[in-house]
Amino acid sequence: MTYLSFFKSELKLVIRRKQDIVNSLVFFLMIVTLFPLGVNPSSSFLEPAAGGIIWCSTTLAILMSVETMFKEDFHDGSLEQLVISGLYLPFLILLKLTVQWLAVLLPLLILSPLFSSMLFLPWSILSVLIFTLLLGSPALFLIGTIGAALTLSLRRGAVLMLLIILPFYLPVIIFATGAITAAQTGQDYMGQLAILAAISLAALALSPGMAAISIKASIN
Amino acid sequence: MNWIWFHKLGSPKWFFHWADRWSKLIFIFGVSLFLLGIIWGLVFAPEDYQQGNSFRIIYIHVPSAMLAQSCYLALGISGIVSLVWQMKMAPIFIKSVAPIGAVMAIIALLSGAIWGKPTWGTWWVWDARLTSVLVLFILYMGVIAIQNSFDDTRLSDKAAVVISVVGLINLPIIKYSVDWWNTLHQPATFSIIEKPSMPAEMWVPLLFCVVGLYLFTVGVTCWRMQTELLIREKRSNWIKAEVLDSGV
Repeated sequence: MTYLSFFKSELKLVIRRKQDIVNSLVFFLMIVTLFPLGVNPSSSFLEPAAGGIIWCSTTLAILMSVETMFKEDFHDGSLEQLVISGLYLPFLILLKLTVQWLAVLLPLLILSPLFSSMLFLPWSILSVLIFTLLLGSPALFLIGTIGAALTLSLRRGAVLMLLIILPFYLPVIIFATGAITAAQTGQDYMGQLAILAAISLAALALSPGMAAISIKASIN
Repeated sequence: MNWIWFHKLGSPKWFFHWADRWSKLIFIFGVSLFLLGIIWGLVFAPEDYQQGNSFRIIYIHVPSAMLAQSCYLALGISGIVSLVWQMKMAPIFIKSVAPIGAVMAIIALLSGAIWGKPTWGTWWVWDARLTSVLVLFILYMGVIAIQNSFDDTRLSDKAAVVISVVGLINLPIIKYSVDWWNTLHQPATFSIIEKPSMPAEMWVPLLFCVVGLYLFTVGVTCWRMQTELLIREKRSNWIKAEVLDSGV
């Protein structure tokens, strides 16, 4: 096994398991629908809240998709094979994560004009929304991986993972919605985007190693 | 600097005897200092010229808030110690101190809410400081939850260590982002940061309370660690000898 063959096989696996991707998208759509139904369907509420609603839904959808990332590999034993393969485990995790990121984020980006028009987000803001998703979602995936790696041996790890990982998502949500609000009020939003990128880079430096430690502890 | 004392504390047996000797003293000293400070503060300290008697809750609020933060710092540092040096005592310390920190955070939140009602006219505001203590409480609950979810002690130790380290690195980011979020969206109508400088008869009892509560926490943590040691090391000879000699 090489890094390239691992990447290719992961890509194939994701493409063949289309239902997982569809599930997380439908989950996302469902949360977006809850807000107009539960709070207020008028555009005077939805337009300023759209960034927050989309970001909260994205966060939950990403958490749900990351949670299952190692489960199957753990139960069929292929995760053990990865650990003893002699390849650098944090890098393998990073590759796996990249595939997952592409699989969840690309459909989300393609559908984002649809969601944003459902929530009356102005077209001019759409590009800002896409930038926040591109720069902020790596951090969500990377931090979520630590939680997934910690809880992979638990039968019901999903709630526990939500509990331990969601607090770490707060800065990303704050700066992403901050950028969208700033764009809506005509202010400069580059600072928020830069901080989102910084958080993602910090997570990139820290998370794969931490996830590898957790996976090794779970497997022995 | 001589680090031998530090390494010695990493040995369960050494720590157990050290705690046996000192924890009770520290605990009693801390409790009496805290009681002294709290009686002084609640009964004898002068009234605040703006807030009247309601300011006296500061003698509970400030020490507990400080401890809630310090305990997390200690938690994260011992997480790093555990990852780097694999010290046996570090996960035991995390397990012992996390519930204390959570209780301190909840005391800080509740006393803050009680204090907020007469001074701000509301139990809760989405102020940056309040929100970050709330997040701190949730972080503690996460550490406690992950410790209780695994049957395997080794695994639950590792999980708690990883989460504490990640939490320690994230805490400044969360704090900063919450500060930034609050100041952008709703500028504070009041400031709890810029207090009128206190006269000595107000801050001396506060200092007593803070130091007392710190010592109290050290004492309780040592006891909790001893209990945890008795459970974990029950098969080792020195624990058997200890229990036979002096009982539990």
